[in-house]
Amino acid sequence: MLEGHISKAFDGELATLHIRVVEMGGLVLDQVRTASAAYTDWQPGPAQNVLEREFEVNEYNTRLNDEQLSLIARRQPVASDLRAILAMARVVTGLERAGDEAKKIARYVVGSGQRPGPATARDARHLGQLAVSLLRMALEAFDRLDVSMADEVIAQDKELDSEYSAGLRRLMTRAMEDPRQVSLALEAAFVLKSLERIGDHARNLARQVKYMGGDSQTLPETALSSGGVDRT
Amino acid sequence: MNDSGNDVAQERKTLDPTGASPEPARRRLGEGGLNLKPSGRVHSQAHLEHRTGERTVGQTSVENAVLSCRDVNVHYGHKHALRNVSIDVGRKQVLAMIGPSGCGKSTFLRCLNRMNDTIAGARVTGSIKLDGVDIQSKEQDAVQLRKRVGMVFQKPNPFPKSIYDNVAYGPRIHGTTRSRADLDEVVCASLQRAGLWEEVKDRLSRPGTGLSGGQQQRLCIARAIAIQPEVILMDEPCSALDPIATARVEDLIDTLRASYAIVIVTHSMQQAARVSQRTAYFHMGELVEVGETDRVFTNPRHRLTEDYITGRFG
Repeated sequence: MLEGHISKAFDGELATLHIRVVEMGGLVLDQVRTASAAYTDWQPGPAQNVLEREFEVNEYNTRLNDEQLSLIARRQPVASDLRAILAMARVVTGLERAGDEAKKIARYVVGSGQRPGPATARDARHLGQLAVSLLRMALEAFDRLDVSMADEVIAQDKELDSEYSAGLRRLMTRAMEDPRQVSLALEAAFVLKSLERIGDHARNLARQVKYMGGDSQTLPETALSSGGVDRT
Repeated sequence: MNDSGNDVAQERKTLDPTGASPEPARRRLGEGGLNLKPSGRVHSQAHLEHRTGERTVGQTSVENAVLSCRDVNVHYGHKHALRNVSIDVGRKQVLAMIGPSGCGKSTFLRCLNRMNDTIAGARVTGSIKLDGVDIQSKEQDAVQLRKRVGMVFQKPNPFPKSIYDNVAYGPRIHGTTRSRADLDEVVCASLQRAGLWEEVKDRLSRPGTGLSGGQQQRLCIARAIAIQPEVILMDEPCSALDPIATARVEDLIDTLRASYAIVIVTHSMQQAARVSQRTAYFHMGELVEVGETDRVFTNPRHRLTEDYITGRFG
């Protein structure tokens, strides 16, 4: 769908940028799904794939940042065009961070991590499914610029947060019951935290959809308020 | 490559009129369970207001306005050029008026110092008050009005006189100075305020028409401020200037704002965004939207404003 600028080339550039962000989202979603399943089912092969594809996520991030900078410099966009480009820049940053979380999870499986027990795996699977579902919904909302779906994502992230808290409590209880499980429990806690963070990134993505839709109250989250940045 | 990928490649071909070769189709979209048909849609206009009746969107009035216009209509013969425009001009601020050609912004500007009086068949109705006094009344002398509301035109128009005489012209005809020393002081101060003094102080007796375009425009601004107006009207003051001269004039506008109210008509949206505190958007003789410049250029409320400033129609 063309966007109606007098400059058709600008329409094309904006639409292409949007498509590439969705492409990046598809890749990150797959990384999250694979890493989460690799942890719960303890499959080092798929986890290795996640690590190998991480550079593709970073390449998308670099290339899209360059394209956004170029669009701003050449077109000097205002109003909805400017908001769309800024929102897409934040979406790309969020997706890259979600990709980082997937990489952290995959590292435990490939590296010196320990296989979680059935109860922990169950919690991780549940949380992983919620995170994947949220990210997919957020990407679909972004693709269609569906503000009501974005609202749904923001509401559902609260559910993910409470599931995370509950899962963490169960994990601590098991660790206290059997102190030999402490190191495994710590590792599992980090995995659960990564999945919860992916949900936060999906929520932030949904907020950007609302911002693109003209909601001026939707402020960008700073790195600080979204829990810090891990650029490793 | 799946069907969805083919769709995407096809769509991208359509979307990229630059003719750049389409990249490999989006294999990613099928991954991770995503089944997306990319719309390429990056905006929603659902939040924007549509025009209903003849209401202007935004804040038309300001506190302690120097100029206050209500229901201003202008007819040129049978042509209804301006419809029910109501807007205030605040003190010590720049109001930018933007809109496509023929939208009425220059017509409105000319109402503010009764320049339309000189056009045969022009009829102005409504109320335009300068400091609370209606400038349209018969008692109001047009020459005195133009002393208080100065104007700078699109094309620099220095008189075929010396640089000194160009600036001294206004004070002389209005008799605002008592002696030659007074006049010298006014000319010097006006040229300094217009940022031209250093460039012309050694050649004040040379013709004003011998200056560069940018210098001529600043000379016209010096001429306008020599009679100490309350409001300065500018009709596309930079459209004939290069970017450096434009930057100088814009910088000057920013300095002058400390003393005067400035109303500027411009076709450059970037210029409106750079120099003004309030922006008014005109469309087909109507004032569609007026508001803080920051807001108008980041989050306009009216769809017509949005379409114009983002380049969706001319």
